[in-house]
Amino acid sequence: MRGPRATIERLDQPSAYFNNRNKRRRYDKDQRDGDDDDINMQSDQPEEDPLKDATTLYVGNLSFYTTEEQVYELFSKCGEIKRLVMGLDRFNKTPCGFCFVEYYTHQDALDCMKYIGGTKLDERIIRTDLDPGFTEGRQYGRGKSGGQVRDEYREDYDEGRGGVGRAVQSARMREREGREYNDDIARMK
Amino acid sequence: MADYDRRGPGGGSSNNPKKRRYRDDDDHDRRGPRRKYDAPPHVRVRKQLVAIAENPMRPWHDEVQSIATLFTDSWEDELLRSNFVDLVLQLAVEQPLKTPFVAAVILLANTARPEVVDMLLAKLAPLIEDKIAAGEWREVKLYLKLLACLQGCLEGDGVFPVLEELFARAVDLQTASSEDTIGTEIVKIILLTLPYVMVAAPGQWAQKAADLMEKTEIIASEPHTLQALVEPYHPESGEENPLQSQSLIGLLQSQLQNEANNQWALSCLPRPWEFPPGEVEQQSKLENAEKHALPAITIPEMVIAGPRPLFPEIFLSVYANQDVESVPPLTDAASSLIRDALLDTINVLHINRNITARHLIDLDCYFAPRTFAARATPFDKLRDIEPPKSTWKPEDVAVDAVFSQLFQLPNPEQKLVYYHSVLTEACKLAPAAIAPSLGRAIRYLYRNSSRLDLELSSRFMDWFAHHLSNFGFTWKWTEWVDDVYLPDAHPRKAFIAGALDKEIRLSFAQRIKNTLPDPYKELISPEKEQDLPGFKFSNDDLPFAAEGREIAGLLKRKAPDEEIEAVIQRIQSQAIDQEMDALVASTDVFVTCVLHVGSKSLSHVLAAIERTKDRLTDAGAASDAARTQIISATMAYWSAHPGVALCIIEKLLNYSILTPQTVIGWALVARTGNTRGEALSTSYVYEMVFNTVVKVTGRVRQLVSRPPTLPADVDEAETRDREIAAMRALFAGIEDALSVWARPGSGGDGDGDELVPRWAERWLRVFKRRAAIEEAFLVEAEKDRARKELELEAARNGGADAEMDAEVS
Repeated sequence: MRGPRATIERLDQPSAYFNNRNKRRRYDKDQRDGDDDDINMQSDQPEEDPLKDATTLYVGNLSFYTTEEQVYELFSKCGEIKRLVMGLDRFNKTPCGFCFVEYYTHQDALDCMKYIGGTKLDERIIRTDLDPGFTEGRQYGRGKSGGQVRDEYREDYDEGRGGVGRAVQSARMREREGREYNDDIARMK
Repeated sequence: MADYDRRGPGGGSSNNPKKRRYRDDDDHDRRGPRRKYDAPPHVRVRKQLVAIAENPMRPWHDEVQSIATLFTDSWEDELLRSNFVDLVLQLAVEQPLKTPFVAAVILLANTARPEVVDMLLAKLAPLIEDKIAAGEWREVKLYLKLLACLQGCLEGDGVFPVLEELFARAVDLQTASSEDTIGTEIVKIILLTLPYVMVAAPGQWAQKAADLMEKTEIIASEPHTLQALVEPYHPESGEENPLQSQSLIGLLQSQLQNEANNQWALSCLPRPWEFPPGEVEQQSKLENAEKHALPAITIPEMVIAGPRPLFPEIFLSVYANQDVESVPPLTDAASSLIRDALLDTINVLHINRNITARHLIDLDCYFAPRTFAARATPFDKLRDIEPPKSTWKPEDVAVDAVFSQLFQLPNPEQKLVYYHSVLTEACKLAPAAIAPSLGRAIRYLYRNSSRLDLELSSRFMDWFAHHLSNFGFTWKWTEWVDDVYLPDAHPRKAFIAGALDKEIRLSFAQRIKNTLPDPYKELISPEKEQDLPGFKFSNDDLPFAAEGREIAGLLKRKAPDEEIEAVIQRIQSQAIDQEMDALVASTDVFVTCVLHVGSKSLSHVLAAIERTKDRLTDAGAASDAARTQIISATMAYWSAHPGVALCIIEKLLNYSILTPQTVIGWALVARTGNTRGEALSTSYVYEMVFNTVVKVTGRVRQLVSRPPTLPADVDEAETRDREIAAMRALFAGIEDALSVWARPGSGGDGDGDELVPRWAERWLRVFKRRAAIEEAFLVEAEKDRARKELELEAARNGGADAEMDAEVS
């Protein structure tokens, strides 16, 4: 570790999500589409910290309509981007609100945590989390209907993320043809 | 909510294994309601000390006294005793605004447990020594500040011998070289430490201080030879009242002189060790407390610049020349002292911008009462404040400090985006207080955009667009509406165009258009609102339209290269028949097709480039003109979205399909030529050249900083020399190309006439500075490598001897 505990909390630490993932048998998944299920507990740092030299960030809470170009424009402020992988709906192959940003250096990734995580992109507060690195397959949502899990049962209406959760939506769909939704899709195209 | 929920390892509950075991078993918290208990003293002392002075309702002497008592009452608690001193030292460098208050706790603790001061000094003195040896000058300054605040309980002359010894080094350095910056830095540290000594032990050290300041005068008041390099303003020749910037130490010297003439009133500094008149007993206890000897602090004969390159500093304020003083005037030491404490805070707290913003909003908690006007006083209301009361707006002082970093040349300590994020958070924390201050800063910078150094203008534009993107893109555009009708090359019009382009990049054209008054909407062309650019070969009137469509089709179905080659051959022979440059013609068609096939997103275009990179490389290698055509085709295809084009060009540079020279040639010769110099006013052209230079210099820096090996790596040395030569050639090329346009009358006809040479001058200044800074870096790196080589050599000789010994035995 970095010596004595600082008198202020650092913003470039991995979130509880990562620390807990390895610990929790019940959620035994090797892949993550970055759903921020409410896991609040702390756990030990694994012996060999897989994030020690992490250059990749998971970026969440994007609008479905945010483009790669917008992500580039903002995230380049912390350093040149080596690779950007947009998170896609498993079935439609359309953006579903997250991405992985890979930098050339660990420092750039840390700076991004400090300076960009929690600020707005496309007028939404985005979240960033250090990530051990992208592997094929992780670009797809793990929700039942193809998007992120958090967008399945979400009850609040979020225009940037397809309205209410998909499961909730399909129930309501029959009554109310999703006009706004289609308009939104048109904008994305 | 989860966005802010970051708990690091080692924080919170992780040192309690019991808790964790419960949680492993199940998610629910079975511990029941939290038991009420009094935290042990070491926890309470830590908590209170860390949060010292944060509560504006609590009198300082009270808070300081209570922490000191809690500490000394629990003196037997070993954990507390050992942690306390470390925490004090940590706070000094992590939360520098709190240093005087922390020092006051020590002074009070000294009345009951004098041992604590010895314990502290025993650690502080070697720390200062180490930091000096490592060249970590900010830490030196911050520890000295703590020591200065303890002057009252030090034996003999206290801090003065250390300051005098430091000064002796500064003199040596300054006599040895006029370009020395370490000596300047040391003098700055001395001058910034002195005021804290004077308030910590009032009335006693006036003569010592005067002696020291008499000595620093020569160094501080002499303008530094490198000052012109970091000057934020670039006045036009013949300007009537050029904004004259002042060096930080020059100012400081004269401000402190004023203070000396005024019995060191230093009215802005807090004195938490002073008790109200009712508590005479406490005060006299403090005065009669035990004095301690400061352990010797040895300063090495040779001091070094340390990890951060040092440059002379200039005092910049975006609230200069207002009719009411909303920030301390330059004649007042408060301007430098408050600024210095804020800058340390800002730069140290990069690990948590929320805390930085908090400290900035609360800055009036850390300075003497009545230093500032009430928080969030509107600027117009400052006029109504009666004279003895302060008109300094705490928000203005805070914002000013952040801008001084954003506009620091050659570079601020942290990435620019950090300062953006601090302003964003400050605005989020106290919108009503901060937003109007930012507004006035923006207006000032906008008004002065033509005199600002071009690199700073560009930083301003970048910050402005990024900031607005965090606040719904709202800005009072109406007030600049007249400037929409200025010629495009006018600096203010160029700012508007550039800022809108940046806003659109972070959002999308329709959205931005909706935030603008009508006259501005003309500036956003209909093409910007289309998501995909048109494919020019859809139009049969264009030469090679059929071939273009054919290649696009082939690329789409990933046809083998031979099929593409056949079409390329056809284009080339037709081009020759039409007396066109065959390579340029075929490159234009091919590149346009690759871009078209990849138009859907950057991933698509990168994949398309990856698949065709051999052909692109060959095309680029065929001739300079063909290579330049790659950029022309890219800029033409993405003309409505230059940000995308710039991104693609950056990737093409990475693939070495383009060379940095190609970019310079396209931007400063081809493009600038075609627009009669007006391209120099286009922000993305500047951005393209600037990014390319940053890329090249970054690579050179990486190469020259690589640790030497034994035996010396010949290949590496060759690469290094080649890249350095290439970098120098690049700078020379930029200078040559720009010099042409810097001549009076070089621009096109009409209004552009005087504007173009001025743009060229501003460009020249930026890249000449960049070149000078890289040369300085090379000199330092060369010294460093020579030193490391010697060390290696020595180590090898030692190691070889040991090996031989081993063999013999």
